[in-house]
Amino acid sequence: MNTFFLVVGVGMCVLVLFCLYRATMGPDVLNRAAGISAIGTKTLIILLLMGAVYERVEMFIDISMVYALLNFIGCLVLARYIEETGEVSC
Amino acid sequence: MIKDYQDVIVKTVARLVVPFIVTYALYVVMHGHHSPGGGFQGGVILAAGFVLLGVTHGLERTRRRMSEKAAGVMSSVGVFIYAGTGILCIILGGNYLDYGALTGLLLVSRPEARSLGILGVEIGVALAVMAVMCLIFFSIFTVDEPGEDEGSTE
Amino acid sequence: MLVREIGAVVLLSSGFLLFVTATMGLLRFPDLYSRLHATGKGDTLAVFLSLLGLAVYYGLSITSVKIVFIAVFMFLAQPTAAHALSKAAFRCRIPPWTCEDVCCLTKTRENTEGKNDSAI
Repeated sequence: MNTFFLVVGVGMCVLVLFCLYRATMGPDVLNRAAGISAIGTKTLIILLLMGAVYERVEMFIDISMVYALLNFIGCLVLARYIEETGEVSC
Repeated sequence: MIKDYQDVIVKTVARLVVPFIVTYALYVVMHGHHSPGGGFQGGVILAAGFVLLGVTHGLERTRRRMSEKAAGVMSSVGVFIYAGTGILCIILGGNYLDYGALTGLLLVSRPEARSLGILGVEIGVALAVMAVMCLIFFSIFTVDEPGEDEGSTE
Repeated sequence: MLVREIGAVVLLSSGFLLFVTATMGLLRFPDLYSRLHATGKGDTLAVFLSLLGLAVYYGLSITSVKIVFIAVFMFLAQPTAAHALSKAAFRCRIPPWTCEDVCCLTKTRENTEGKNDSAI
């Protein structure tokens, strides 16, 4: 079972690299925000899989919950700011 | 100054989520000895709940729930709880922040008194951190537009 | 124990496949709005299935209840974030991608002749 978690975790890391392409090369700020939100979601799963491999899941659950919260709030604040100023190309 | 958001979906979801953020922050404060957490982290998560309310519902409504005066008072109360616990330990005969001296007051054994003393100190820290974060949020987001004061300088 | 492991493997694999699909959508779609579709919907379901798989692996305990809490929160929060981003894009007047932008392989000379004559 540990091998399976490790394989899925490494696969998620490769997917994070693909999302990083959109986060750097997106022609707008909002494309980059979508990429960062996707990276945050995958980071959540990678954290929990690492906790399952090291047999200390209880510790990593609290951390991943906080990270999901911060991802959500950051996305909302960024969207609000872009809507107010209207500067999309960066 | 942040105005109201005028969007039903985001406002409803924020209103659903904020009580759970506050409960989760209290859980993080209480379980500081057992899992990652403690006073500072719980205070920051509490302030994140206020930030969510401020961004989605406008700054005026958030000010009605946590005015700047209340935030200032709460930060002082938090520091007072922290320092007060230390001085209480001195009054009861130990050193500063020597929680073992609280056994006479709380009528529990010495290790339990230490644990409860740390919990009280964490609560003070969480209050102070939350109030200061809210004050920082308010003062950054109410920077006035440039050009309002230029009539007086010219 | 074996049933739990098989359930966890099935749910985690399907979640991983959905993640791959959503990431391919994020990379290959031509427009911001369609990329937000891919992230907002595909990633949400993928996270939900993966977290359910981990909760099934740990059986009936406090750990799985907390993992289900995280799953429900992500189910609420991620589409809202995508909605907020797309509303910001609409207010900033980012144009959506339409069919005329692409080199249309079905447009031949016979198709376009009659249309140009009637426009005069």
